[in-house]
Amino acid sequence: MTAHVSAVGFARFGKRSENLTDLAAEAASEALAGLGRKPVDFLVVGNMLAGAVNGAENLVSRVANRIGLETAAGLRVEAASASGAAAFHAAVHAVWSGHHERALVMAVEKMTDRPTAEVAAALAHSLHPSEQAVGATMPALAALVSQRYAEQYEVDPAVFDAVTVAARRAAQHNPYAQFRTPVTATEVRASRAVALPLRLLHCSAISDGAVAVVVERGEGPAAVAGIGQAFEALALVDRPDLTTFAATRLAAERAFLSAKLSRKEIGILELHDAFAPFLLMDLEDLGFAELGAAPAWYSERGPPHGAPAVNPSGGILGRGHPVGASGLAEIAAVAQQLRGESGPTAVDPRPRAGLAQSIGGLASHNFVTILGSPAP
Amino acid sequence: MPVVHLALLATRRTVPQVRVLRSHAPLLPPQGRVLAATELASPAAGWPNPHRIALIELAEAVRLLAIVEGPLPVTGAVVTVVRDGDTYRVPVAP
Repeated sequence: MTAHVSAVGFARFGKRSENLTDLAAEAASEALAGLGRKPVDFLVVGNMLAGAVNGAENLVSRVANRIGLETAAGLRVEAASASGAAAFHAAVHAVWSGHHERALVMAVEKMTDRPTAEVAAALAHSLHPSEQAVGATMPALAALVSQRYAEQYEVDPAVFDAVTVAARRAAQHNPYAQFRTPVTATEVRASRAVALPLRLLHCSAISDGAVAVVVERGEGPAAVAGIGQAFEALALVDRPDLTTFAATRLAAERAFLSAKLSRKEIGILELHDAFAPFLLMDLEDLGFAELGAAPAWYSERGPPHGAPAVNPSGGILGRGHPVGASGLAEIAAVAQQLRGESGPTAVDPRPRAGLAQSIGGLASHNFVTILGSPAP
Repeated sequence: MPVVHLALLATRRTVPQVRVLRSHAPLLPPQGRVLAATELASPAAGWPNPHRIALIELAEAVRLLAIVEGPLPVTGAVVTVVRDGDTYRVPVAP
């Protein structure tokens, strides 16, 4: 059974006044408008913090009621910051199995209503209890990983600044992005410290937003070619290597195995860059650069130009990080590129295949999605 | 050298044993090397601001995540690990 993405919708990321279900409805409305009268028989909602931050459990019922899909089957999926990607994979399995014909996948998060410290504490619930016990936060652990990466491979910190500069340059063309103003490397380096070496502009922003994707049986330019996911030790101290994310490597192996596509055929990457150094590690873990070689690769290719294009949507750094929605936003961005619907962020020439990668927690549960098909 | 107050964490790893000196001196806590350390400018609710943590490697590649009380140690520094029940923290003189 084949599946493809047939429609995409976004609710602009940023500080939004709408509540969780209204954001979801905004994105769903855009996706369903492209669907015509074809019925949806499965609703999957990806979200991380609805209970902890919004006091809103039973989220899929709320969304189904809000958008008028009470007759569909449905479920909510949570995989920390990869919830959106996990929701997509669940929908793909349902369609591939033949049990459902057409799934509406939603991913939504509302984070700006509560104080930052409260949201940070909720996000830290995805860490190992021993890490929570010492007051570690996601940015703090990301900082430790980034320090190890920079030391092991003698990385010039200016490369981290360049990642943010490229992200913000791309995001200015994305009408759904939170940050549409470019920044310079000087501004990045002058931004306040969050957990050194990470500064504010090296880190993704708390955000609100929603994404909707329709995946259904059949063929199309955004065919689901391969999906893969994998786990790694939850606690950082239990990992044999602190400069690579094994969960990404294994998820990529699994996705490429089923996709029957090689890395050379991938024309666009949408990667999880919640922290600037992670983009470099993503490129290596996915096999697009040798270990330690991503800084040079990234500098030489000057993304988002060159093949494959890297984060032409602006990535998480440019788009904002409503955590449960980001993984689906990456998949949606790849689908739009393959369907020729990217507007000002379009990659030229239009790619035939693309890859989206999403990190859950501190890379303890990662997802890789490959869309498209090989050249004839 | 800076003294780092460490929280010995309950992960899958066993707790390092403290070596007993023959000279009747007090038990010496284990020592470790700093792999990375950082200061959180925006800690989670309930933690002091700023808040410092460090990743420490003890003998036999046992690693700990530690609360740092005092100046942030540099990478590579050898520091003292102090244990206090399940979560280890010891005040450090400035």
